[in-house]
Amino acid sequence: MTPAELIQIQPPLVALLLLLGAAAKAVDRTGGGGPVSLLPGALHRPASAATALLEAALAVLLLSAAGPVGAAAGWAAAGLFAFSAVLLAVVRRRDPQMNCGCFGGLSTEPVGWRTIARAAVLAVAAVGAAVAGGGGLQALAGLTGAQAAVGAAELAVLAVLSPELREAAVRVFGREACAVRRVPVRRSLARLRRSEVWRANRVVVDGTDPVDVWRHGCWRLMRFTGRRNGRPVDAVFAVELRGRRPRVRAAVSDAETRVTLAVLGEVAEEGGAPLPRTTGGAPQATGTVVPTGPPAVPAPSEGAGDEGAEQERGGGPEGAEEPGGPRVPRARVGAHRAGGQASGPSAGISTGNGAGASKASSSDR
Amino acid sequence: MSVDVQERRRFTAALLGEDAAPPPSGPAPQVVRGVAVHITAHMLTVATLDGEERFLFERTTSFWRGRDVGPEDVRVGDDVLVRCGGTGRWVVDRLWAQLGRVTGTIVSADEDAVVVDPGHGRPRAVAVIPYRSSGRMAVRHPVLEPGYLFDAVGVRERGTVHTTVPVTTQPPRPAARMPRRPPARRVPSAQSGIVTWYDPAFGRAAHTDPRAHACGAAYPALDPGSDCGPACDRSEPCLPLPLLSLGATVAVRNDDTGVSGVYPVLNCASAAARFCDRCREASGDASGRLAELTLPAFTALGGRPEVGCFAATMEAG
Repeated sequence: MTPAELIQIQPPLVALLLLLGAAAKAVDRTGGGGPVSLLPGALHRPASAATALLEAALAVLLLSAAGPVGAAAGWAAAGLFAFSAVLLAVVRRRDPQMNCGCFGGLSTEPVGWRTIARAAVLAVAAVGAAVAGGGGLQALAGLTGAQAAVGAAELAVLAVLSPELREAAVRVFGREACAVRRVPVRRSLARLRRSEVWRANRVVVDGTDPVDVWRHGCWRLMRFTGRRNGRPVDAVFAVELRGRRPRVRAAVSDAETRVTLAVLGEVAEEGGAPLPRTTGGAPQATGTVVPTGPPAVPAPSEGAGDEGAEQERGGGPEGAEEPGGPRVPRARVGAHRAGGQASGPSAGISTGNGAGASKASSSDR
Repeated sequence: MSVDVQERRRFTAALLGEDAAPPPSGPAPQVVRGVAVHITAHMLTVATLDGEERFLFERTTSFWRGRDVGPEDVRVGDDVLVRCGGTGRWVVDRLWAQLGRVTGTIVSADEDAVVVDPGHGRPRAVAVIPYRSSGRMAVRHPVLEPGYLFDAVGVRERGTVHTTVPVTTQPPRPAARMPRRPPARRVPSAQSGIVTWYDPAFGRAAHTDPRAHACGAAYPALDPGSDCGPACDRSEPCLPLPLLSLGATVAVRNDDTGVSGVYPVLNCASAAARFCDRCREASGDASGRLAELTLPAFTALGGRPEVGCFAATMEAG
């Protein structure tokens, strides 16, 4: 196949990129990125709209018109891309944080050499489209294997030079990291109230609204006031902000002595000294927690009750949701209770004997 | 919202581990702030929260009051920040007098003064640009129009800051047209950027106001769902900083000096979120503001307040 036949793939390829750019600019409401940012603010939106229109018109001409008109569209596209490359270099020098605006709101990466190189590659491709004389639809109708291979290779190069693909992938396949994602407080509160940890400790808490709410990366923490064995306590819950079954942790602290009475199914030392922790923030296993064994029907006197059953149900998927940090051995609440005092749904913090000698709070769910 | 930051840190450590909320560093003994009550060529007496303290000058002691000066230019009544040499608290290595800074978005400007909005929770500040520094300021801040960013260090005089040094190069667009941050699939546990300083006491009553002595940080990515509140005007910082609340602790290391410290988040740094700049006099090319430290904390890490920033690595969340 001769080079003249191979460059027949350039008009549809350039038209495709022009159409994508025009569509992305048309739906972008932010505007103002890239070379448009060099203009006064009042001209940003009109200039962005005009660029989108120009790109769309050139794409249509490259696809539909053959001969001199198609060639002229190709030369115009080449000029547009070459001018864009120069302007992007100016933008990069003037405002290093500015994005290129090439694909509207998808272009959030600051202008870099990849973006400028992409404009240059497209300018060369548009020269090829001009030499081919347009007629992109005809070329597509008679597409050969060699032309398809050249087009695929060219698209691969353009993909490598396109930071927008990464952003599109994040938008389509996933969300931002939980540490930077905004999550409404009411959603965290709803998740907390659906958790077994909340139900097990509900009796400790006064009222339904937290007295303090704060955020720590992927966790939202909520403090409630309450009473336990007649003493004022602070019940603090931590709700993870990722996954369908977020982990929930709880700690109860004496409001006057500030001794941590119970946390995560473990009993704190008298005086509230922090328990040994792993690097992932999870408490290390101590003698007060018993890893969950095979499902078994608990004897009524052992008091595993609903909470134990809920923990059994939550076992599998939860482990899959926790890629970072070691897992906490799930406590079977009540398994080590002295004398089998606690039982059933009351197996939470509320059933403890007093400060510094409480029962297990609960575990992750 | 009234916040007990110590209680928050205690509960966070109890639930997420000590690594997630390490205890904050105490004040550095080498850094002192107060009001100069007596000064000679060889000695300085400073009124601090703990009473009067005396310090000695050496031949190598340097003084700053808008520019490098001598001890005779430091006046009684000046708000002074002292960094002592070595590990002791006797001999002054460097002294700064009447430090002031104006950071934020320009609200209005006339011939030689600009009014700057530092973001919610802080009062507007007036920066006077004296003729002797106007050329230097014009190079780094060419557009003194409403909406554009402003950041300069200077000398506090009668409630205004007479700017002497521009801290950054002004972005060539209004703050409202900041480009969006690219989405972050992952947030690194340690991030590189720059750290600046702010003065929660605004240079007033440095001998009695505990805010002048606080060692803490203002953080540009406060959670809008809790502390930032409905009046929150902060924008998305250009670094993917984890969302935190007041009371969280962040570990900051000065990349130039290697000194590090852990500081509680005490305030919102909404103005810092609008900057995505580099530190001109720091090594490395990291950009984006990680935090604003209070003056004692900034100086304890080896920062030079007259420069305004240093390259840093921060672990948060």
